[in-house]
Amino acid sequence: MATRRHVLAGLIASAMSRPSWADAGSPAFLSAARLPSGAFALFGLTEAGATVFTIPLPARGHAAAAHPTRAEAVAFARRPGTYALVIACASGTLRARLTPPEGRQFNGHGAYSADGAVLYTSEVVAESSAGIVGLWDTAGWHRLGEFSSGGVGPHELRRLPGSEVLVVANGGIQTDPQDRSQLNLETMRSNLSYLSPDGALLEQAELPEELRQNSIRHLALAGDGTVAFAMQWEGDPAEPVPLLGLHRRGEALRLCPPREEDLFAMRGYAGSIARSGGLIALTSPRGGVVQLFTAEGAPVAGHARPDACGVAPVAGGFVVTDGGGAVTRLTREGFAPLARAAAAWDNHLVRI
Amino acid sequence: MRHPWRTSIAALALLALPFLGSGARAGLPEALSETVLPGHAAFTAATAALNEAARADCRPETLRPSWNAAFDAWMGISHLRLGPAETDGRALAIAFWPDPKGSGARTQARLLEAADPALLEPERFAEVSVAARGLFALERLLYDPALASEPACALTRATAADLARMAVELETDWRESFAPLMLSAGAPGNDRFLTEAEARQALFTQLMTGLEFTADQRLGRPLGTFDRPRPERAEARLSGRSQRNVELSLAALERLALALAPDSPRTREGFERARSQAAALDDPRFEGAADPSRRLRIEILQQRLHALRDQLAAEVGGALGVSVGFNAADGD
Repeated sequence: MATRRHVLAGLIASAMSRPSWADAGSPAFLSAARLPSGAFALFGLTEAGATVFTIPLPARGHAAAAHPTRAEAVAFARRPGTYALVIACASGTLRARLTPPEGRQFNGHGAYSADGAVLYTSEVVAESSAGIVGLWDTAGWHRLGEFSSGGVGPHELRRLPGSEVLVVANGGIQTDPQDRSQLNLETMRSNLSYLSPDGALLEQAELPEELRQNSIRHLALAGDGTVAFAMQWEGDPAEPVPLLGLHRRGEALRLCPPREEDLFAMRGYAGSIARSGGLIALTSPRGGVVQLFTAEGAPVAGHARPDACGVAPVAGGFVVTDGGGAVTRLTREGFAPLARAAAAWDNHLVRI
Repeated sequence: MRHPWRTSIAALALLALPFLGSGARAGLPEALSETVLPGHAAFTAATAALNEAARADCRPETLRPSWNAAFDAWMGISHLRLGPAETDGRALAIAFWPDPKGSGARTQARLLEAADPALLEPERFAEVSVAARGLFALERLLYDPALASEPACALTRATAADLARMAVELETDWRESFAPLMLSAGAPGNDRFLTEAEARQALFTQLMTGLEFTADQRLGRPLGTFDRPRPERAEARLSGRSQRNVELSLAALERLALALAPDSPRTREGFERARSQAAALDDPRFEGAADPSRRLRIEILQQRLHALRDQLAAEVGGALGVSVGFNAADGD
């Protein structure tokens, strides 16, 4: 099909040179989207929300990881993922297509090592949802190996700033390998696992027993190594539970409830998380709201934006994308429109 | 917290007028003028009457009729959980249910024990936990033997006055601010609704979420599972309004759906059948959830509501040109 031919043509055209991010028209963000035709694409966006490039995707995308120096990004398929595309963003061409090994599925997120030589991918053993971190050589794009993620159903995976230590949000949910239906909600247990680059489990943090059905899924990291994590509640929707938590290695988990009047505003579902300056933003497409917290987790404000999900930092605030195609700027005071595309922005807006 | 939509209201209200009746806004002005605004006016009137009645005579048996009238009026708008309903947690404070841990009753017991008139002053009472205020707080005071026997007159009056105050604020915000804001969707300076489609989608989302709430909470909570039915979890079971609330919520959702998209024969028929099934349950507190022979009828109604949801998505969503959000529908 057209999309696939595009991708293959891009692969053949893939250049030898390795341009830097400035050559890619300096996109500030990457986001996957669904186009009006029903096809899927990866967009490069400026800070003002203008489209710098569009690259077709073979199926619905999820998140992306940007190379620390090269104008290169890896776009991940939505879980259960069968592809990850390495894209040369300056030319909008495909550098490589990664396919998980037999019996493995990509889970939508990944991260580069500090020097960009290794890509770590969040994966599951398809049959059991056992968590795997896949390792890929980014020079030749062959698989280097894999190790356990430290839990079930890993989702976002990040590298701690200034370190090679990985932190993985093991969501705890076992899913059917075909239809994503959830198989273990009665017994699930999520965790945050810290792993060395060779797979040693350095530290693990779990939620208290009564929040066992809170699935840790997305991460936003501070320079000092504090991990802010966003959760999705799989328990009784009548139970108001915190959807934001903070953790720093060697310390106890801290849970950050919203103000009482906003207890149900997120409808138990946080879709993305980002930090900017002294603020943390937590998006809920189901609630049509973005909640802002201080870096210490105290609630600041909640602002309405329908189907808001993608969020990434800019100076002085955040940029938020939604399923209606709007790109908006969010500050403590509220939203202001930036741009609009004929695209339904998918879950994540990734800062390059 | 200040809400940004409050600041530019006057300008937007003026902007909105020329748009009224515009075909491009199909359904939205009708939904606001025919269901949303009259529904809020009725709730204000009913809670004002309840407040008056409480001041005149706070005995449970005399207050019950006006409390039921206020609850009936709330069922006409309880599905509208956006904008003014979210400000200061108003919708939660008006009707805090479900409350699986019983936090409302606990807070009320503490208030009664404290017997401190200062806590019941309007400004202080407005700061009391949302779980211990509103219609369900009054239900316990009027129907729960554990509370209704207490000398609770002062708390009843404070709760009724607080409810009436919230109703006025809610209605005023809708009429003066939020309805004009929806009607001026897409106008310069309207940062809440960037396009007309966003405003239409906002009401459509309330419709869909409201139907899900009735199916999954009002019916689903007492149903529990076959092996563990939970009739004690039915909404407003103390007052025996569980089935009535389902019927009234379906009627309100039907009005909203048909105001948004009048030419929706399958939706009309679906609601009619659902309402007649609900009326035929003859099970005010859903005690039948624990009775295998009667349980099935509640389950069938729940299935009908799930099917109706799909019909609404196709027919009403199609007429409005909107759907449940891309990310909201299918998260990860």
